[in-house]
Amino acid sequence: MKKLICTTLLLSAFTLAQSAPAPKTVVVKGAKLLTVSHGTIENGTIVLSGGKITAVGAAAEVKVPAGAEVMDGKGLTVYPGLIDSETHLGLTEVQADEMTNDLVEASDEIMPHMHVYDGFHAESTLIPVTRYNGITNAIVAPDDKDTLPGQDSFIQLYGANSNAMILGRDVAMPLNFTGAQRRNESFSKAKFPQTRMGMAAQLRQTFIDAQEYVRKGDENNAKAADKREHIKRDLKLEALVPYLKGEKPVVLEANTASEFDAAIALAQEFKLKIVLNHLSHAQQVLDQIAALKVPVIVGPIYDMPKEDERYDSVYKLPAELQKRGVKVLFASYDAHQSRNLPYAAGYAVAFGLPYDEALKAITLYPAEVWGVADKLGSLDVGKQANVVIANGDPLDVKTEVKRVFIGGIDVPMVTKQTILRDQYGGGTK
Amino acid sequence: MSLAARAAWSRTLLLVFALVMLAATLSAQSAGPASQSSEFVIKNATILTASHGRIEHGSIYVKNGKIAAVGTDVSAPAGVQAVDVNGAFVTPGIIDPHSHMALDDDVNEATSPVVPHMMMKDAFVYTDKEIYRALAGGVTSALLLHGSADMIGGQAVVIKTKFGLSRDQMLFPGAPQSIKFASGENPKRVFGSKGQLPSTRMGNFEVMREAFIQAQEYRREWDEYNAKAQKGDKDAKMPHRDLKLEALADVLRGKLLVQIHIYRADEFLTEIALANEFGYKIRAFHHALEAYKVPDEIAKSGAAIATFSDWWGYKYEAFDAIPWNATMAMRHGVRVAIKSDSDDYIRRLNQEAAKTMRYGGATEDEAIKMITINPAWIIGVDDKTGSIDVGKDADLVLWNSYPLSSYALADKVWIDGQLFFDRSTPGYGMPNYKSDPEEGQ
Repeated sequence: MKKLICTTLLLSAFTLAQSAPAPKTVVVKGAKLLTVSHGTIENGTIVLSGGKITAVGAAAEVKVPAGAEVMDGKGLTVYPGLIDSETHLGLTEVQADEMTNDLVEASDEIMPHMHVYDGFHAESTLIPVTRYNGITNAIVAPDDKDTLPGQDSFIQLYGANSNAMILGRDVAMPLNFTGAQRRNESFSKAKFPQTRMGMAAQLRQTFIDAQEYVRKGDENNAKAADKREHIKRDLKLEALVPYLKGEKPVVLEANTASEFDAAIALAQEFKLKIVLNHLSHAQQVLDQIAALKVPVIVGPIYDMPKEDERYDSVYKLPAELQKRGVKVLFASYDAHQSRNLPYAAGYAVAFGLPYDEALKAITLYPAEVWGVADKLGSLDVGKQANVVIANGDPLDVKTEVKRVFIGGIDVPMVTKQTILRDQYGGGTK
Repeated sequence: MSLAARAAWSRTLLLVFALVMLAATLSAQSAGPASQSSEFVIKNATILTASHGRIEHGSIYVKNGKIAAVGTDVSAPAGVQAVDVNGAFVTPGIIDPHSHMALDDDVNEATSPVVPHMMMKDAFVYTDKEIYRALAGGVTSALLLHGSADMIGGQAVVIKTKFGLSRDQMLFPGAPQSIKFASGENPKRVFGSKGQLPSTRMGNFEVMREAFIQAQEYRREWDEYNAKAQKGDKDAKMPHRDLKLEALADVLRGKLLVQIHIYRADEFLTEIALANEFGYKIRAFHHALEAYKVPDEIAKSGAAIATFSDWWGYKYEAFDAIPWNATMAMRHGVRVAIKSDSDDYIRRLNQEAAKTMRYGGATEDEAIKMITINPAWIIGVDDKTGSIDVGKDADLVLWNSYPLSSYALADKVWIDGQLFFDRSTPGYGMPNYKSDPEEGQ
């Protein structure tokens, strides 16, 4: 009997913990507002209500609604929740423990029918650790070991369960063309594709097969209903259809100039809509990249230079691209260290990227590229209240995030790490 | 000649050789770092001394590779160049107490769990550009350690990042020898996967105990022999020299600084107990991600920690890592350093130190100490470098903005008073530098 009561208590506690608190009306008064879309308001007030931003402006002009929690914003900086344009959050827990990894289905090179949402672990301890630094949204991508490793999800870093946290399913498809996907370098154990040529040929054949699949389907659909044949579904080819039709972006990873050239030729051959990714060593083709007029996810900025490159060649890449009019985005390409995303943007500033562009690179630009700019990425009335309050510059390492609102909910600043800190007497700071 | 005397003699020879080589290089080079004047004054600087706080509008007088004066009332002697840096920040050179750079993957002789006779200096690739990249991040000294495949991996090397000079010119003169121990998951995985001892934590420590019992025997044989020989006993039979046991005996004699790779709280306690059982001191625990769970025990042992600021979760024993570790241990009296263990992180250790201000509220002075004087102590060179004090080596960094931030870049880096990195001159100090295509655009 006692056991039963305990179980019931535990269950109800669990249910309580899982039911999301309602968004309240919160006003931050007299803070520095980094709106991203319309500049900085030094002495500003922001109102969050019903899960949305309902007012943003100079402190003197914004009315405080009755019954709101009013927070003194003196010395505080308010900015939109940060967006990491590529992470592995929810696909790994402990890197070295394979059973906790769902990073990539490495059994084949062409796996576009793998969906991140099928493996996304919403209760990962890494997610609260990440949002503790003000990151509220992210693209989760499979690891880049396959040429086509599956399709990305756009997530929110708070919610009752995975359904609530996955805001966008299959929003983009990575295409990795770095040569790293070559299967085996030794002749004795070689397996196709062994070379870059093999990779490209395999990819080309896959796209041609998918085009044919689309054509057959379209032809069949054009027939009168009683004349239609049964066409067997092929999940792999079906997954490629929206990308071949240019409806969704293909996230094209190429590190170097030569990889870039080959990958772009391939993308153009199939008229893919692209976002460039992981360009760390492409200094020779900066103008060609700019001419494409596509967004570029840079870095990681912490990539080591190649042997013949300057010590600061990778660091400077975001600034060099931006100078040429490229829309630059940042990604952590990590799970555990995704929380350091703002510092990567800060380091790009040190190497010449204008501050406003660095902030946009982790807020408004990803919101635009991932199709959520009507809801996220800036402090504007009507947008979702994904808002961060910190005691200083979001891009600086020393800055402490005080509160994080996601969908207007005041997210508890509790992580596995703060629990351990407090358990061992580290206090609340 | 006793062993100790022999070692001292060979050290002297090495030093003489190094000095001759240095002189030869200095005279041979017409451009680059070595031609820089080693007597100058940096004036109007914001100096973070690492030993006595911050000095506003301060000056540093560098002479003969040493800091000859520091303070607000220092002026350049006649004929000595004084450079006004307009309030820019100057810190001691950053010191990384845990690096594997420039070793070309020769880090683990993983064929036996106890290989204390492996000498890192035999593998040191002094031409590796990783050194230049670290230098460009303000690093002036580093401890290059073995990996963690073995329980006892070998003896480390201390370098000054004088990229472009010879191997021996890069070895830190007079630095004591460190030895690397490991524990936990890595050794048990490496040897367990071969079906060998150790494959458990129990096995790990048994291997250590066994090794030290042999070393005790070896030390006793040599002590007895040396005592007899000293008395003039001509019949005394010299024992067989065994490099492996000789190194372990040197641990027992307290001649080597013991650096231990470790994660879990329980293992700190076991390592401390083992050190007490055999009577050696632990200089520092590296990684030390669970130090916050047993800070008092670590403080009492006298060991420091060299830890990551926020790296975690890459393996199970790193899953309880918290970014407050450094400050929590520090508040309990543990000497704390932030280290890189990475060719990437070593390039921006200043930012990693700044994270201790964000997590746990370390002060500016505490954060600076974690990447300068504290790692210098771990390496055993804190009497020579690690703070801006008169008589110390002029290992200095001039920053373009507040060093404990995302935005700071090293503008100039001096080692022993010589300029080894200058951001305004691309390729400065880099032999055979080839500008990239972007250059000149």
